[in-house]
Amino acid sequence: MNESKNNVPAANIGGHKLKNDLVFIAVLLLAVVLVGLGIYFLRGEGDSVTVTVDGRLYGVYSLSEDLTLDIRTGDDGEERNLLIIKDGKAYVQSATCPDGICASHKPISREGESIVCLPNRVVITVTTEQKDDAPDVVV
Amino acid sequence: MKKRLSSLFLVVCVLLTGLSLPSCGIPKEKYSTYSFDYFDTVTSIIGYEETREKFDKVSEQLLSSLGEYHRLYTIYHRYDGLENLCTVNELSNGSHRTVTVDRRIIDLLLYAKEMYTLTGGRVNIAMGSVLSVWHDYREIGMNDPSRAQLPPMEKLIEASEHTDIEKMVIDEEACTVTLTDPDMKLDVGAIAKGYAVEMVARELEAQGIDGYVLNVGGNVRTVGARADGEKWTVGIDNPDGEGENAYFAEAALAGEALVTSGSYQRYYVVDGERYHHIIDRDTLMPARGYLSVSVICRNSGAGDALSTALFCMSLSEGMALVDSLSDTEALWVMEDGTKHTSAGFEKYENN
Repeated sequence: MNESKNNVPAANIGGHKLKNDLVFIAVLLLAVVLVGLGIYFLRGEGDSVTVTVDGRLYGVYSLSEDLTLDIRTGDDGEERNLLIIKDGKAYVQSATCPDGICASHKPISREGESIVCLPNRVVITVTTEQKDDAPDVVV
Repeated sequence: MKKRLSSLFLVVCVLLTGLSLPSCGIPKEKYSTYSFDYFDTVTSIIGYEETREKFDKVSEQLLSSLGEYHRLYTIYHRYDGLENLCTVNELSNGSHRTVTVDRRIIDLLLYAKEMYTLTGGRVNIAMGSVLSVWHDYREIGMNDPSRAQLPPMEKLIEASEHTDIEKMVIDEEACTVTLTDPDMKLDVGAIAKGYAVEMVARELEAQGIDGYVLNVGGNVRTVGARADGEKWTVGIDNPDGEGENAYFAEAALAGEALVTSGSYQRYYVVDGERYHHIIDRDTLMPARGYLSVSVICRNSGAGDALSTALFCMSLSEGMALVDSLSDTEALWVMEDGTKHTSAGFEKYENN
């Protein structure tokens, strides 16, 4: 139990205490700074996109890996939205929907941003894995 | 030494707990769901519950209630055995029938009349004849861009002669509505979504449920705060901005509504020009000047009507209207991206 008392000569206890305190404070400050920096830099940026079709989960894809995904919808998979993930951003390159609003939408990368294709019932949303920010799975 | 380590551990734990977890109680998880079935737009529900099952139960109840409002308020679909706004708009022997409707229709129409007065006629549900011309041309243009055309102005002017809201006669006692001008039509597109969202949100509140946010095509209504005690953050989309500039503003809300009307949300393209869906009653054309207008207020029905009305008003006129209303703030984004806010908007801003 009392290791310090057993191993350290009584005269040195005060010095060790001070040194230990300094180490504790340093470690504590470092931890706080690291956590703070982490929160500061990670805030807002999502790490994946969640695709749902008609409210059902289609898939979750990392924003950190480039990807070309052909989202097939409609009764026979005849409707398509071509999702591109590139340089940490996601956008719809082309789509079979008549209005083309999804394909003219800007690339998305921040948590909560989404691209919606009403005719094909597709929602592409930026999400993060941190539980208190957003769910990974949307069913 | 061990004592010291454990006290350090404790301090770090307290710090981390303070940063990432709610203070007490069973931790609630954040769930969400989407539906495409109502009001010709996408509905999203986000809520905090202990279990997925609990969330599903609440969201199913919300969607089923929203579905009832949708069937009553739609002007595009008829349902067997149901008198709705579509059947109110129908002609029988060259004129409109007196139709006995659900109380929820009467309540909406009365509310719409209030909003007509409040917005100086900018929001007029009796504009259906004009809006249906635009709707038909937009549908054709959206479905087949090669056939996209603007409606002829003579057609719009002719339709605009049948937009007198006083010709919508309501008998509250009997729950009936009669359109006394055979050429008039109702279009509740500027108000029904927001009103329905408000009604279903109140159903939740009446059951003591909070920790939810509903978004029906840009009509956002928060029900209480998030389960971690934080307010909900609602980003106002910058359709041309990425990364740090993705949002024009972020509002922190707990119980309020935020409604955005944007020219980029629903439009069709004619000869390279975009024509959006918010029609100015004075020009009979899509309103010009703004990229989007957002309103924060207590009632999402009022928010819906106001955001449309402000979109069709000059900035100074709109600012005066917002200033005259309690608990109401607005953000105007001009076509060039510059922003204007009402005096109290910043107290909702999340920086």
